[in-house]
Amino acid sequence: MEDHEILLKFQNPASRNLAFNQLVRKYQSKVYWHVRKMVIDHDDADDLTQDVFVKVWKHLENFRQDAALFTWIYRIATNECLNFLSSKRRKFLLPLTDVGAELAAKMEADPAVAGDEIELKLQRAILRLPDKQRLVFNLRYYDEMPYEQMAEITGTSVGALKASYHHAVKKVEEYVTRTTDD
Amino acid sequence: MKTAFKLDAHPRRPRPLLSEPPAGYFDKLPTQIMARLPQADTRPAVPGWLAWLTPALRTSLASVAVLGGFAASFYMSGTPRLVPATAATASLDAVPRTELVGYLLTSGARVENSDLAVLTAAHPNIAKGFLHASTEELNDVLDAQPAEDLNYL
Repeated sequence: MEDHEILLKFQNPASRNLAFNQLVRKYQSKVYWHVRKMVIDHDDADDLTQDVFVKVWKHLENFRQDAALFTWIYRIATNECLNFLSSKRRKFLLPLTDVGAELAAKMEADPAVAGDEIELKLQRAILRLPDKQRLVFNLRYYDEMPYEQMAEITGTSVGALKASYHHAVKKVEEYVTRTTDD
Repeated sequence: MKTAFKLDAHPRRPRPLLSEPPAGYFDKLPTQIMARLPQADTRPAVPGWLAWLTPALRTSLASVAVLGGFAASFYMSGTPRLVPATAATASLDAVPRTELVGYLLTSGARVENSDLAVLTAAHPNIAKGFLHASTEELNDVLDAQPAEDLNYL
């Protein structure tokens, strides 16, 4: 079902639930993986994904369609992730690097990562990035999202996003190079 | 010398190597999310015809209704019925004088100027039975009284 059909049906109270169910089925996987890449842990990603869609439900009536529906949902998901990570840091009074280390520990415990040394180092390097820079890196490197769409999601200029991604790549490459034996 | 790692040379994956969510996760997720949604009250918040009015008009209409209610209740209740002072004193007329005097002497009740004012308002000639004085004499005595004590005449 196209986004405009979903939105049209959502406006009608009789078909609202059905339309929203369609919306969840359409975007749940993308939202889940966007969140999972940021928080690594499945349970956290599950909670946050549900929170994201509950927020979408609450605010969809006021969605002005200035942006594409998915861009808007992505923005909500992004904010949820950043809020989650910063509240975790505040709650446990953790510096940035400790949250990165905690996420890295969770990732290393994941059986899917075991055995791939370079991939593991790459993930460690990515998790050492500041949250917002890691978000930019994920959107560009994994999702291959255009900078213009990233700008709509993050509320940052295209130029700033390009610079942020460039610095992120440099940091990642330096870390993997430094930690790799000859 | 270490070989510099280049991200472009590394095989790009669609996402990091993380384990997949549990089997059937995406089949159950919509149901879980739908269960968490705050369901709106299905009853209409306002009657159909009110829904066509703008919020500002609805607020104005509510104000008019409240003011109208006050005005109607005021109009329906009318002016308060005045109980003539004679009614109270008329019932006192039925009480024997000795009983009245006995009550006033034993109950400790004090007769205030205001009580006398009510009494004379109901019976303008009440003083004629016991006050044997000419109008001139009364005026002389009254003129000598402080102004605040004249209210019962």
